[in-house]
Amino acid sequence: MTIASIIGVLTLCTSCNETPYMQGMRLYEAKCANCHMSDGSGLSKLIPSLAQSKLTQQPELATCLIINGIQDTIRSGDTYLVKEMPGFKRLSATELTNILNFMNHKWNPTFKEVQIIEIEKIITSCSKSND
Amino acid sequence: MIKYSALILGLLLTLLSCKEEPTGPLKVLGNTKMVDGKEVQHTVGIVNHYSTDSTLITNKELEKYIYVADFFFTSCPSICPKVTKEMMKIYGAVIDDPMVRMVSFTIDPKRDTPAKMKLYAENLGVDTKKWLFLNGDMDATHELANTYFVPAMVDKNAPGGFDHSGKIILVDKEGRVRSFSEGTDPATTPQLIKDIEKLKEEYKK
Repeated sequence: MTIASIIGVLTLCTSCNETPYMQGMRLYEAKCANCHMSDGSGLSKLIPSLAQSKLTQQPELATCLIINGIQDTIRSGDTYLVKEMPGFKRLSATELTNILNFMNHKWNPTFKEVQIIEIEKIITSCSKSND
Repeated sequence: MIKYSALILGLLLTLLSCKEEPTGPLKVLGNTKMVDGKEVQHTVGIVNHYSTDSTLITNKELEKYIYVADFFFTSCPSICPKVTKEMMKIYGAVIDDPMVRMVSFTIDPKRDTPAKMKLYAENLGVDTKKWLFLNGDMDATHELANTYFVPAMVDKNAPGGFDHSGKIILVDKEGRVRSFSEGTDPATTPQLIKDIEKLKEEYKK
């Protein structure tokens, strides 16, 4: 009886933490979900979907994009698409790593964890290319 | 015996927890006021705005339809995309209904020119005859928002420069506010869609 209840409590606890990247999840909710939505679905052509996005699977591109944002007008034939995303310069390497790992763990079937040391290197490279 | 009483108690609890649909017509929201000794119901303020094809849209035009309104701006980095996502769901529910329209007012008319909003609507993939995106004088639009019970104002400290709420408002053909949902809370959208159906019944009689 006691063992059963302990197992029950344990199952409850693990089912609450469905992602191993809790800080990433909280940061995603605070910084990204307003536009990209909690389920990563985005908004039509206006805001790209992050679920199974090729971009989030490339740490170099994704990290620099999150830091610097986008202020761009992309032309496609006669129509032009305005793409704007604010930059998040204040995020630390640890925070960026956790956000990327959270997104890819959740939505990318070929998930591979990125390491803080990797992201630290990328951060210096994207601020250099910005100068 | 104990088993049965537990079962009955369970059933009772389930029955009690089911919320009953409110019956009768939708209420008219807002306070009434006295005009020339007569009680007048609250209606929305003056609409004098331009659509994405630069047609002047007034209250008279809007009153041909039941419509669902929100106040937003295209460069809004905070709640707007979530609200627009809910507006999209409602749009999907009324797309084939000639009696219903969607209306989005920009609270940032300087940046959200009709041309920019046309592009926004195209990217959203919606028909701007069915879903109007309206541009008018900024101060007048912020005042207008208040008559829809949506606070909207310039606030340099707010993300994007404007402070506003994400309410989605249902307006009848007399310009009266009849229901609303919270655009930031997807759980409130189904009730608004039900309320549209309920409001339509009033015009079928």
